[in-house]
Amino acid sequence: MDESLELPNVHLQKPADIVAAEDDEQASDDEDGGLDWTKLLPAALRPVIPKRGEKEYEPRTGTAGGESGLQVHVLERSRAAMFETLKATRTTSSKAISYGIWHPHLARAEVTVMKGIHFSSMGHSAPRQVLDSDGTEKLQKRLELLPEEAIYLIERGSMFCWKESNLDLQQLEGVDGVPMTVQQAYSEMIGTEDLTLEKFQVFAYLKRLGYVVTRTRPPNEHYPTATPLSVAVSSPSVLDRVRRLFGGLASGLRRVFARFDWWHPLNTSTCFLGIRNYGSLFRSLRFIPTGHSVPLNREETNQKDSPYQIFYNLYKPSTPFKKSTPPAPDFQIVVINARTTPMPTLQELTNLFDILPEQPLPLPRQKRLANGSQVEAKPVPSAPAAPLPSTGFCQRLFPWAFPTTAPVTQGRRVNPFMALKNGKKMIVIAVVDAGNIGFFKFSEGAFSEWPMA
Amino acid sequence: MSSSTRDDDERPIPLRVANQKAYVWDVEDVARIRSKYRLCGILAGTLPHLSQQNVFLGIPLVLLPEEVVLLVEQGAAILIDDPAAHKPPSPAQIAQWHAEQTESMKTQLAGIESKNAKESQGGGRALSEEAQRKRKEREERKRAAKAAKALAEGEEASVFTPASEAAPAPVASPSKTEERESSAATPSNTKESSSFFPFQQTSSSATPHTIVVPAPSSSLPWYDPSSCSYSTIDAARAAGVWSYPATLEERARCGVFKSLWEQGYFMGIGIKFGGEYLVYPGDPLRYHSHFTATVLEAPTTTLRPMEIVAHGRLGTATKKAHLLCGWDDDKKEVSYLSIEWAGFG
Repeated sequence: MDESLELPNVHLQKPADIVAAEDDEQASDDEDGGLDWTKLLPAALRPVIPKRGEKEYEPRTGTAGGESGLQVHVLERSRAAMFETLKATRTTSSKAISYGIWHPHLARAEVTVMKGIHFSSMGHSAPRQVLDSDGTEKLQKRLELLPEEAIYLIERGSMFCWKESNLDLQQLEGVDGVPMTVQQAYSEMIGTEDLTLEKFQVFAYLKRLGYVVTRTRPPNEHYPTATPLSVAVSSPSVLDRVRRLFGGLASGLRRVFARFDWWHPLNTSTCFLGIRNYGSLFRSLRFIPTGHSVPLNREETNQKDSPYQIFYNLYKPSTPFKKSTPPAPDFQIVVINARTTPMPTLQELTNLFDILPEQPLPLPRQKRLANGSQVEAKPVPSAPAAPLPSTGFCQRLFPWAFPTTAPVTQGRRVNPFMALKNGKKMIVIAVVDAGNIGFFKFSEGAFSEWPMA
Repeated sequence: MSSSTRDDDERPIPLRVANQKAYVWDVEDVARIRSKYRLCGILAGTLPHLSQQNVFLGIPLVLLPEEVVLLVEQGAAILIDDPAAHKPPSPAQIAQWHAEQTESMKTQLAGIESKNAKESQGGGRALSEEAQRKRKEREERKRAAKAAKALAEGEEASVFTPASEAAPAPVASPSKTEERESSAATPSNTKESSSFFPFQQTSSSATPHTIVVPAPSSSLPWYDPSSCSYSTIDAARAAGVWSYPATLEERARCGVFKSLWEQGYFMGIGIKFGGEYLVYPGDPLRYHSHFTATVLEAPTTTLRPMEIVAHGRLGTATKKAHLLCGWDDDKKEVSYLSIEWAGFG
């Protein structure tokens, strides 16, 4: 039934196609392992990723009880194809393979032969004491790989790795240590330099998709750090703290002196300015401090203990990436183990958002016309780019004294929901449950900055 | 596949444990675990030659901790402290390995020279004799399987290349990605390293050969798991190799998993469906799952109404019933309750 798929001229490696194939009418049933391995073979020929086969609802009761003969046959075929694919060996031409030496005490793999494009985005140089041929020690820069980078390259058959050894290997030409298998790389490299299997799986997953992945927190001083985030949001400075202190004080004072009446919150405003329209009425009703600049009314938990720490910086494949001076990352990723880590608390999320940069608010989605064609993308510059500036101390104290600055667009109303939903800060959390990776996006919605009225 | 290793069937499956995770590195073992013990695990590795996609992953198979506990309790598997099993080789062993490598390289080069490069086989690979024997067996089986398949489908066997030629990756045709990479490669080496690498040296000549990055360690002569194998969970726990299950929650998961497994179900990971497991009536390769199972630590666990609504809603949307599995830690029993949207209106 699938002869056409077994022809070698079917092309592979088009993630979009795969997704599309996966995404047909059975999208909700798109379970793991739901793939038809019969279409994948033979491994030695140019492999082809096929469309998924149709699954059945349940084993039919055959004559022997259990599955029917046909079902058993089809299952056997699928399994055989799957196992056959798994048997593919990592063969690489000697012209394309790199070599490395794993140093367990450093938790780094030193690259001795560099081949391929991987090294334009992987590895960093570090000065190390090396023994020269004449016995003198000297400082030399060399290219080193983090454990996840080393495993990834070994696993995809791009690097042959030796393990540092004190055996006398002088007479063995070309042997720089004990040859390592992929299995040994998994066993010995995971667990070093903060690397867990979950973190490696996320790393490999993203690398297979073509992203450039680096560590957020440099594991040593030689590791290049990313460009400081575009809009550095400071941790509360002294000035901030003073302001916050006075803010608290002021609101206390206001309560005492202004005799703020919870039952008639509009008294003061009406005295001075009067209510001209609904807008000003709603604004004067906004007397509870809102927004993400208002500190959480909670005790600071120890930030170091939280598993919610940013671990990887992520660059889109299209981002021009320079290894020695990486640009500001496109995304930042937290990796957690679903089996041991509960949902993040509000405090944990706030701590994450505190160190993240502010992104510009997304442009509102373009409306679709009735005939399905997209409206010519009209830039809507002013509205989303300049939302309501965070209310200052005086402004909060005397809201009626300030003219309105709400981002009310003249003419066409902009649909604000994209901005409300995405907000200015975003973090991706990779949740790994025993090898099953899910990516979740947490955004800090910008509701206080887009008052509806 | 299931008929292939009949004589091997009694041998306990070695699970290589490192950092409290259990890996399976041998495809024969993966096949046995799947076919005989109805456990799937999760494939975690990059598939060779298809290394830029996430749809089909390869060896190693990472087992869920519940699956590991089940297999070991059934006496079907032993736990191996993998880092400890990688012993340092003796000078003689490494010399032997080097000799084999050089030999295989020479065979390859000779083969390439004598034959047309396009027809050359990747013969005399960098594998030990043991592995070569195994591969021959595999090829034998593959040929048989293929013949059977062709017969069953009533197709011309000649449509396919003969199985003997289907041996992995002919030297002369590296995959497209590799070609691209090597052409884009920066040939700059940081070190004067060519003298250290005979492989490298020969590659500077016109004929490249194939280098194999071995996956399982079992073929290495210095890999010795005998002194660090544990046949029970308790023994492995005492040695600090394996600690699951340690808490009531983990015991409940193991209990529920085992109970469902004993009833003939296959289990997959259910985190994307709002539960612990997906419960399949047969191999997930061929069948849809019927249930999403949630493990409750006790039959008296309190449920919030919102959970029931959420489970019902999600279950309906994904054409599954939600299964609440209450574990009774005293009686070691599981009670089941399923939630389904009633189909009125």
